[in-house]
Amino acid sequence: MYTDLLHALPNVFALANFAAVIIGVIAGIVVGAMPGLSATMAISVLVPFTFGLEPLVALGLMAGIYNGAMYGGAIPAVLLRIPGTPAAVATTFDGYPMAQKGQGGFALQVAVVSSSLGGIASAFALMLLAPPLSKVTLLFGPSEVFWVAVFGLCSIIFLLGGSVIKGLISACFGVFVSVVGSDPIYGNDRFTFSQLELLDGISIVILLVGLYALPPVIDLLEKPLKTGVDDNKLGTESLWKALPRMKGFWKTWLRGSLIGIWIGILPGAGGSMAAFMSYNEARRSSKTPDTWGEGEPEGVAAAEVANNADTASALIPALTLGIPGTAVAAVMLGGLLVHGLQPGPMLFRDNSDIVFGFMWQFLFGAILLVLLGGSLATNSFAKLLNLPRPLLGAIIIVLMVIGVYSIHGRMFDVYLMLGFGAVGWVMDKLKFPLPPVVLGLILGAFAEENLRLALRIGRGDWAVLFQNTTSLVLVALTVGVIVVPLVKSRLAKARQAEGQA
Amino acid sequence: MKRTLSAVFCALTLATPALAEYPEKPIEIIVGYSAGGGTDVMARTVAKFLEEAIGGSVVVKNMPGAGGQIGFTEVAKAAPDGYTLGTFNLPAALALTKDRDADYTVSSYTYLANFVEDPNTIVVAAKSPFETLGQLLDAAKADAGAITVGLSSLGGNDHFAANMMAEAAGAEFTLVPFKGASMARTALMGGHVAAGTMTLGQTTNFPDELRVLAVLGDERSPFAPDVPTAKELGFDVTMSSLRGIVAPAGLEVDVAEKLRAALDAVNANEAFQTTMAEQGNPMSFALGADFEAVAQAQDAVAARIWETTPWK
Repeated sequence: MYTDLLHALPNVFALANFAAVIIGVIAGIVVGAMPGLSATMAISVLVPFTFGLEPLVALGLMAGIYNGAMYGGAIPAVLLRIPGTPAAVATTFDGYPMAQKGQGGFALQVAVVSSSLGGIASAFALMLLAPPLSKVTLLFGPSEVFWVAVFGLCSIIFLLGGSVIKGLISACFGVFVSVVGSDPIYGNDRFTFSQLELLDGISIVILLVGLYALPPVIDLLEKPLKTGVDDNKLGTESLWKALPRMKGFWKTWLRGSLIGIWIGILPGAGGSMAAFMSYNEARRSSKTPDTWGEGEPEGVAAAEVANNADTASALIPALTLGIPGTAVAAVMLGGLLVHGLQPGPMLFRDNSDIVFGFMWQFLFGAILLVLLGGSLATNSFAKLLNLPRPLLGAIIIVLMVIGVYSIHGRMFDVYLMLGFGAVGWVMDKLKFPLPPVVLGLILGAFAEENLRLALRIGRGDWAVLFQNTTSLVLVALTVGVIVVPLVKSRLAKARQAEGQA
Repeated sequence: MKRTLSAVFCALTLATPALAEYPEKPIEIIVGYSAGGGTDVMARTVAKFLEEAIGGSVVVKNMPGAGGQIGFTEVAKAAPDGYTLGTFNLPAALALTKDRDADYTVSSYTYLANFVEDPNTIVVAAKSPFETLGQLLDAAKADAGAITVGLSSLGGNDHFAANMMAEAAGAEFTLVPFKGASMARTALMGGHVAAGTMTLGQTTNFPDELRVLAVLGDERSPFAPDVPTAKELGFDVTMSSLRGIVAPAGLEVDVAEKLRAALDAVNANEAFQTTMAEQGNPMSFALGADFEAVAQAQDAVAARIWETTPWK
């Protein structure tokens, strides 16, 4: 099985395929560095443009962008305390104080090395775990897939942090969007208003571009924010001189990688949660927890290693079960499908060159991050923050419209995207979380279809949902995801009450 | 008066392109599915060889959506000038006219040529206890509905095949319509459904995982010469997935003839046959009236099944 992995390697080094990864990483860092523009947005805006390319060129671009953007988000997080991507929020805790102390350059170097290490660990996890796991996927019939979907929805609602009610409302909106179109069993029209364009349901890319790209663009145009950075905050020295100062971080790196990989595999949660968990765990086991939040480089390392460690591992459920656990994984899965690659047990047999090539591209994307982002260009990337915002906004809007139009070649989709953009903007203002909408759309459709298939197989008997071990394990996990945070918050409240008394 | 005159004038100017040497601009083949699928690959192969045969450029345009309906509708509504052709999938295209309000019927097209005919099968997982079609049907008769059959969708050839088989054997299946053939196949291999009716072409890559019990064709397939037909086993059931090329109804006779001759030449081309065989396409060429007769027959089958066991 793993010999195929080596066979795929030469092709990855073909000029176009390798260039795609390099361009992807640079583009990813650029986009990630723009406050508000996330990896999800970058990939969903760009993915329609890759449909016409050779598979490995297209996938290499996506792998590069994903890796690059997850680090790029650290640049404004450190220098401006504006996380470039949601996953970089935890990076601001210690990164910004470091910049205030004139150690911004070192903070960015810690970020890029940590990001790169997290990405490398994640790529290895994908390479080693996905092929054997794909054999297990035959165990997943309709009832098991139904529970995976329910588990994913519960974990995004209950573990995201913030208000559970708002998360639930967001998820419900996403599930409602998934209902539009012909129903998965009989093909009855639902909420299509006799529009043939709606019969197939609403494409995830249209929703993503609308929700994730339009609100930040409006934001860019709306606020005449001055985001310039003066050089004295950076305090740059060469990366090779900075490296020895990081040697004490290996425990944090290891822990953060494992947390990131694990969170990535679970459908639902994503990079921001991985970063928070890794940060908290690292702080808890630190000898000097009091210095955290005041410019502790290890804090930056903990956050950045974890938010990159979930990138490739998030593709494990997507490639094996065909269930994307995060928005980015969903878009990438769409890219794979366009190139005729069907996720599932046969993927690694029938298309091993492309799938394994894609995994190598992830690995090289992560390695290139250190070279491109670290030693060459962190300073120049920081200059990006000086770009005129209206110009940037205008360019992104053009890309969005062309990209969405080119998916099916129809204006209907563009109007739909703008509609979702308006909804996204309102949700943003009212502080409704966006990830549950996306997962609601993806997993809601999976849950409905598979529940109905399972019931047909069981001839209408609901017991079919609890008939085997795989299902029961998934039910237990789902209950755990709901109950544990509730119990934790109860305990915390009780302790607080005690403390006051 | 003025209006009639201008109408006549319009009609005349519209008619002129057909009178001039056809084709004088690119011919478009509309595919109702996305790029990369079986129908798309066929369209692109035909287009490549048709360019040579007709002496003009031929462009494939994908208009995926609504199970192919968007593309089929587009062709039916296009001007019958020979510059818009389309791929036509049977029985899927006509099944769509039964279970919903479609803007076309069997008579909305000028039938040019059918190329591919992929027979359906009755197939089980390799580790299934059922070794023969007889065993499977006995189990289905013993406990009505106990045998689950995975389909790629309702209202397609998979579904019709299962229905016709059940009817011929006096058995009853529980139909489980997945989203597409590959999902149905994975569920079959994982043992989540007992049997499937996917086409032979969809089984050929999986000799170690699947066991084909019968082919629902008139005769044994060269792709699986050891597998008996249902007819041999005593069940008069044939069902298949057909792919051909049509034009809108009312196509000028001389343009239609020219296109049919060109498509006939494509079919006679050895290189074309080799390419199609490499792609694993079982061929069944039917030109003009023959193709139309096949379409009429398929329409009748779809109508009968819709009437006796409507699927929505």
